[in-house]
Amino acid sequence: MMGRLWRAGPVAVLLAAACGKPPAPAATTPAAAPDLARAADSIAAARRDSLAAAARADSLARAERERVRADSVRMSVQQVSADTAPAAVAGGLAAADSAVLAAPIHFDYDRAEIRAADQAQLDRKLPVLAAHPRLEIRIGGNCDERGSTEYNLALGERRAASAKRYLVAHGVAATRVSIVSYGKEHPLDPGHDEEAWAKNRRDDFVVTRGAR
Amino acid sequence: MKTGWLAVATLLAAPVPLRGQDSGSAPVGVRVGITYAPGSRPSIAVLPVAAAALDSARTVLLRDLDYSDRFEVLTPPAGVAMRGGVPNYPALTALGTDLAVSVAAGGGPGEVDVQLHEVRTGTVRNHLSLQLPAGGEALRLAVHRVADEVVRWATGSPGIAATTLMFVSDGRLWRVAPDGAGLANVPAAGRPTLSPAWSPDGRAIAYTAFVPGGRPLVLQDLSSGSREVVPGTEYGVNITPEFSPDGRRLAYAHGDENGTDVYLYDVARRCCVTRLTVGRYYDNLSPTWSPDGQRLAFISSRAGSPQLYVMSADGSNQEALARFDFGSTGQSNGPAWSPDGQAIAFHREVAGVPQVFVVDLATRAVRQITGEGRNEDPSWAPDGRHLAFSSTRGGVRQLWIVDLDTGRMRPLAATAGGRLPAWSPHGNYFTEAR
Repeated sequence: MMGRLWRAGPVAVLLAAACGKPPAPAATTPAAAPDLARAADSIAAARRDSLAAAARADSLARAERERVRADSVRMSVQQVSADTAPAAVAGGLAAADSAVLAAPIHFDYDRAEIRAADQAQLDRKLPVLAAHPRLEIRIGGNCDERGSTEYNLALGERRAASAKRYLVAHGVAATRVSIVSYGKEHPLDPGHDEEAWAKNRRDDFVVTRGAR
Repeated sequence: MKTGWLAVATLLAAPVPLRGQDSGSAPVGVRVGITYAPGSRPSIAVLPVAAAALDSARTVLLRDLDYSDRFEVLTPPAGVAMRGGVPNYPALTALGTDLAVSVAAGGGPGEVDVQLHEVRTGTVRNHLSLQLPAGGEALRLAVHRVADEVVRWATGSPGIAATTLMFVSDGRLWRVAPDGAGLANVPAAGRPTLSPAWSPDGRAIAYTAFVPGGRPLVLQDLSSGSREVVPGTEYGVNITPEFSPDGRRLAYAHGDENGTDVYLYDVARRCCVTRLTVGRYYDNLSPTWSPDGQRLAFISSRAGSPQLYVMSADGSNQEALARFDFGSTGQSNGPAWSPDGQAIAFHREVAGVPQVFVVDLATRAVRQITGEGRNEDPSWAPDGRHLAFSSTRGGVRQLWIVDLDTGRMRPLAATAGGRLPAWSPHGNYFTEAR
């Protein structure tokens, strides 16, 4: 319901983009070669159709996956199941690429903006994601121990969303990136000083699909 | 019954130690606490019992009356308090006793009579008879109910002994009675399980569950244990649930890529989600209802750091509630509207350390309650004068209870690691089910 509607956003954008592909330049030369133009038209039409069909199939597949995920969330509350850090889907990626994708970024206290130094960290992920178009990743937003438990859940979500927004603005399809907040529940460093806190204010990146 | 407390109305610019109250420094412009004038509460004697079998009941009753913070509790020895098996009113009067409670075997088998005596007039003001369970939690709960009734006889409003605190420790849900007894795990979804909230009838809770792939809100029936996910919360992060006072709606915060906002779910009709706030890249969370269900206080970071706001229950008329100065007032979180509607408790960082505050809604005056250790996430008792909160003041994190009228603070036993307390309403499931 509510969730479905929200999820419709990226899918609709994708469909619009697919349908909006410029048809081949056939229309510019109708007089010179009408047959050719007609052929080009029909090729373009077929191409449009197949793109639209692919996009439809794609969005249906994604909607189906979303539905399955939502079902699994509903199922999992019937048991006592912990959300430990997700296991990375490793196979098929070069070790160097895996390391680049997994490299965390860090945040200032109570901030969710990407720091300049961390933009470079995100930029390095872009070619890996471009070279493996079926890869999907999950960004986990984390906080240090100082703020309130509940506010940190919102802040962690915003931190994960910041990195996603950056990747999407640089050409990564929004549907390939999911986000989750851990609040302050999963500190990397158990210490109680600025050194530990700085490490814990982070986004983690995990490959969830399509590494092969 | 009003106890004799003097509000310190002066604005404090320097640390001033106050009796019965933390002595930490207070920020300029904050009214710190109230001081206790001893001797102004009625004194109540819990009379010795004749039958040894009633001794454990008397012990529980004594502690409940003490923890109600409404009396000076006296325990005169049998030789003074009793004469010929009945209260020695002149001797008790000489000791400065206003009221006395007697617990004695009644007429029928297993029956127990409880009487409240007005010592100066030598009369029995109230009495009740009950079948006392043999022992264990059933006995304690029966005595807690008696204690709450004695408080009602004496003051006009019931005590809070027969209530339950739900809280989070080690990522799991627990329940405990306000006297620290009856600790038990509450099986719940997710790990961690966070932010439990009681339905007003005490029969259900809502909470955030960390499960693989989601942060849903779960509604859980306490007697059957059955669980359901609030529709739409399969997505994003879903936090800080709170039932409306009539139990028909659930206010909560849903966060996604565009920020976190406050929503309402119609629990009664199991449908329909309404969005109350529209933030963009900032957060609105932690809604808490006014007792009349007309307004919601909540936290918003719209001005840069999280602070306390209030709005009508349809989302209109949003405004800052507790005054703050941008850049200097610490983050404020965890608001809880008092049962009498007149105040909101919350925690605010002072020099980077969270402390419990109460804002008075009529005057908007902000009062700092704690000053030692880290003190977070206050939850009101149904009597509107006690707060449970999470604190490190004792060296380790656990739950503490403060009585706002006397300033008395006590740790809640067996709650190591405790955070996010939620105090049940009167007559909650754990007491009614037995």
